[in-house]
Amino acid sequence: MAKKKKHTNSLQQMRKQERRLGYIFASPWLLGLVIFGAFPILASFYLSFTSYNMVGVPRFIGTTNYQALFFNDNLFWKSLWNTLYHVFLSVPLGLIVGIMLALLLNSKIRGIGIYRTLFYLPNVVSIVAMSLLWLWLFQPNFGLINQVLSPFYNLLNMEPLGWYRDSNISKLTLVLMGLWTAGGSMIIYLAQMQDIPKDYYEAAQIDGANGLQQIIKITLPLMTPSIFFNFIMGIIVGFQVFTVAYIMTGGGPGRSTYYFGYYLFDKMIQDNNMGQASAMAWVLLVVTLVITLLALTLNKYVFYLGEQD
Amino acid sequence: MMQRAKPLGENIAEEPPRKAIITEDKAPKLTMRQRRRIKNSIIHLVLIFLSFIFIFPFLWMLFTALKTPAELLRGVEKFFPENPQWTNFRTAVTAVPFMMYLKNSLILVGFGVAGTLFSATLSAYAFAKLRWPGRDTLFVIMLATMMIPPQVILIPSYILYAQIGWLGTRLPLIVPYFFGGGAAFYIFLLRQFFKGIPKELTESAIVDGAGHGKIFFYIMLPLTKPALITVALITFMFIWNDYFGPLIFLSNPDHWTLALGLRGFQTQFSGRFDLMMAAAILVMMPTIILFFIAQKYFIEGITFTGIKG
Amino acid sequence: MMKKLILLSLLLVAGFTLAACGEKEDIGDRTEINFWNISPVGSESYSGMRRIIRDFNESQDAYFVRSTGINFWDYWDRVNVAIASGNAPDVALHTIDNVVLRASNGALYNITELIEADIAAGRETIAVENYLENQLDVAAYDGNLYALPFSATTRVLYYNLDLFEEAGLSETDVPTTWSELHTVAKQLDDVSGNTINVLGFDPSFGEGTYKQFLWQSGLDYFDEDFNVTLDTPEHLEILEWMYDFNSEYSRSALDAFGEANEMLGINPFAAGNLGMMIASDGLYETLRPLGDSMRYGVAPIPLPDENGVRVNWGSGFSIEMYDNGDEARKQGAWEFMKYLMTYEVQQDMAEVLGWLMSSIPAMTDYAEGNPILEAFIEELNYAVDKVYVPYAPNWHAVDWDQYFEEGLRGAMTAEEVLQAAISNYIQKRENYEAAN
Repeated sequence: MAKKKKHTNSLQQMRKQERRLGYIFASPWLLGLVIFGAFPILASFYLSFTSYNMVGVPRFIGTTNYQALFFNDNLFWKSLWNTLYHVFLSVPLGLIVGIMLALLLNSKIRGIGIYRTLFYLPNVVSIVAMSLLWLWLFQPNFGLINQVLSPFYNLLNMEPLGWYRDSNISKLTLVLMGLWTAGGSMIIYLAQMQDIPKDYYEAAQIDGANGLQQIIKITLPLMTPSIFFNFIMGIIVGFQVFTVAYIMTGGGPGRSTYYFGYYLFDKMIQDNNMGQASAMAWVLLVVTLVITLLALTLNKYVFYLGEQD
Repeated sequence: MMQRAKPLGENIAEEPPRKAIITEDKAPKLTMRQRRRIKNSIIHLVLIFLSFIFIFPFLWMLFTALKTPAELLRGVEKFFPENPQWTNFRTAVTAVPFMMYLKNSLILVGFGVAGTLFSATLSAYAFAKLRWPGRDTLFVIMLATMMIPPQVILIPSYILYAQIGWLGTRLPLIVPYFFGGGAAFYIFLLRQFFKGIPKELTESAIVDGAGHGKIFFYIMLPLTKPALITVALITFMFIWNDYFGPLIFLSNPDHWTLALGLRGFQTQFSGRFDLMMAAAILVMMPTIILFFIAQKYFIEGITFTGIKG
Repeated sequence: MMKKLILLSLLLVAGFTLAACGEKEDIGDRTEINFWNISPVGSESYSGMRRIIRDFNESQDAYFVRSTGINFWDYWDRVNVAIASGNAPDVALHTIDNVVLRASNGALYNITELIEADIAAGRETIAVENYLENQLDVAAYDGNLYALPFSATTRVLYYNLDLFEEAGLSETDVPTTWSELHTVAKQLDDVSGNTINVLGFDPSFGEGTYKQFLWQSGLDYFDEDFNVTLDTPEHLEILEWMYDFNSEYSRSALDAFGEANEMLGINPFAAGNLGMMIASDGLYETLRPLGDSMRYGVAPIPLPDENGVRVNWGSGFSIEMYDNGDEARKQGAWEFMKYLMTYEVQQDMAEVLGWLMSSIPAMTDYAEGNPILEAFIEELNYAVDKVYVPYAPNWHAVDWDQYFEEGLRGAMTAEEVLQAAISNYIQKRENYEAAN
């Protein structure tokens, strides 16, 4: 009996130590959150209940901002819808393209380093240059894409697509434009793929599995930690969408690309209405959080090698 | 539902056994080597076609950098400059205190990468491998910090730094990195990678009596080198290109960085687009070179031929 | 292992202390004045601006002006964050059309008081009669001036002489009424199939804008109480005129015309593709590198055929002193402002910045001999700036453009555009009044 007691004691001790260690390891971040994060974040929450034009002093007005946004503001709901649409469109597309790019660029052909760098270039090049690229590609009259597609248009006897000038497909167009920065998620996948033990592939090859089967049965499952990461990050970042519309479409046509983040920006910069802008920020936070929490439940499908037996 | 990727012997055995050796009575369609060559050629073709599109914005930047101001206005040659003004690169470097900006950028980037690697790895380990009360809630809070649009936090942050007397110094752009400022992205990323390290490796270390500190330092970090490189690279890129942080928080022009200082070429009417693009290309170079170097590590991979002693 | 960690931490501490230090030149007993402007290092106006400031610093020894130049696109974020957090500089440029916002919230020093104090003490001071009356009105709040106009911008009609002559026209054919504008523009158009090679004119290109045409017809968006006045038949007529001007071309052809130039980063008038364009004096600065290779002229903006009012949309930068509570710095800032407003410095600035400055006598002399600049000075007499509407500060930009563009692309009729704009302004007013 004495031995067992000792055993449980040291287990308890280990647990206690682990709890302490958890805080110790997380302490830099925790301290940062309290010191640098708390005041600005709580201040913005307070500001959402004030009337504040960024020149005078904020004046408390209760829930007036929220009421105005929910009940007397057409663009609030439209912009929220635009953003939700964007998230549900961009996340799956972004995942698929990122994974395919990574698989493609994991090939061991000559000069793969140069190709990888080229595909990563759009993440480095200035946004001005990128917007010119998109004009060059997506311009309905002389853009490269419509020129390449003109035989199809003729065949199907349809008008060339209006891309960012067509309020029905403008959001899709912006999502496609955003895919040029898929290189960002690509390197994360590439990093993950390096952590896949080579033994698995060797064993599979011995058993006669071809390349595609190896990808489906080994690579993809073992990539799920980073796929899950890009999935959650895609959602969080997707809700913040703004810059691409600011540069390319100005929120049009017909406010079809006027995203929530864009409207928020305009409230602050154009209307000098920091109170409403802060209220919008917190609404965005809640919506993003709800969707993210739902997405996080998919964690149970992720395959972590560190948790397998 | 993801399938658990066990070493493949079992799964493949369920399918009809396929002969790896070509028998004489069947006419050989293609040898392995021929098949691989065709596959590689297809990959090359796809990559070359896509690369052309990906490299377009960079080419446009380069041609713009080589034009004269009159050519910029008229666009006579449309795309190609008539007399490449390579001197624009020299002007871009000499018209501004380039070396001082470079030094300042290096300072910020050096501290930023160091601080991020420090605080993000520690926090990620806490979230990935340790159990402590409040962990999961704090994880969600950490994600939530990425859900607030930064513009609404800007003014309170500025006031915070003004109150603690850090305005006029570089500290607002350095210290937060050591406390996980802006590191939620990396913490989440590294958490995924840490969870992906096979359990056998960490467990054997525990059996040997190693504490979490040793596990973190001698096992986790070395085995996730590709992820660490990725984090360093992305952090570098973000800080190197960030003009907004320096714009708002560096009130002393002697502290200005490349990203901010080179925006001096943009004026309201007579935009020296040529100088701007020349400067932008120079500033882009380190990131491209670093990426090219870093991605080399994404070929080697790791082999676990046995469990480390 | 431990040794490495200790060394690293020591390095970090050393680094922090280094990073925390700010090095600044010694200015002795002088009071330091901070001046923010839009001439950053690397811009063409940087060395001129620096020289002007150095001359001030060397001309007296009570004050030392420290100047920070930030590029135009980033300037506003920086200065507005500084103002919001109570850390504004002593003197800075800003836009004159929203001085009321800052004045009414106590952010600015009262200029009228400073002028009157000078007069009472017999000191030299600003002569307000040197400025445009409209600019003084816009920079005033509650009967007092709270900023000085710094630059004065006007809009004119630019016309491309080469294109005129190619179409068999001459300078005498430059239009003076809206119908003439249309006739001449059509003669300049050059179209092949569905591609527009040369466009004569388009009211929605450049800086024409609906308000310009309204003002020329004696109309406006709001009345003095900020009620919206957009729903009259005359308002509708003018909007329809704008939409119908080039209605024989498809919207996609017109868009392609605009974007072909945009893609190369060029202004269509500068590229020689647009026959006439309403633009500010800034276009003149843009066109200067072209030298003689482009022959063009400027003229007053054409008027409505009947009962036209000669008016153009004016704007400009203001120069303001922010209330930081420090009396010594206030005096120094004021001396610096007065220096910037002297005859010689105004002309110097115009040369350095390429802007029309606000001191009209200085500018009139400066423009002598240059017919284009002289034309600008003349038009300045008719320049009127936008009014600040508290519930819709950007009534003329985002709040209007989002509907205007729907009409352009044919998704809304002109009438629907006006109705939608009106209900948006009304909604904004409701929300504003509920919160204030």
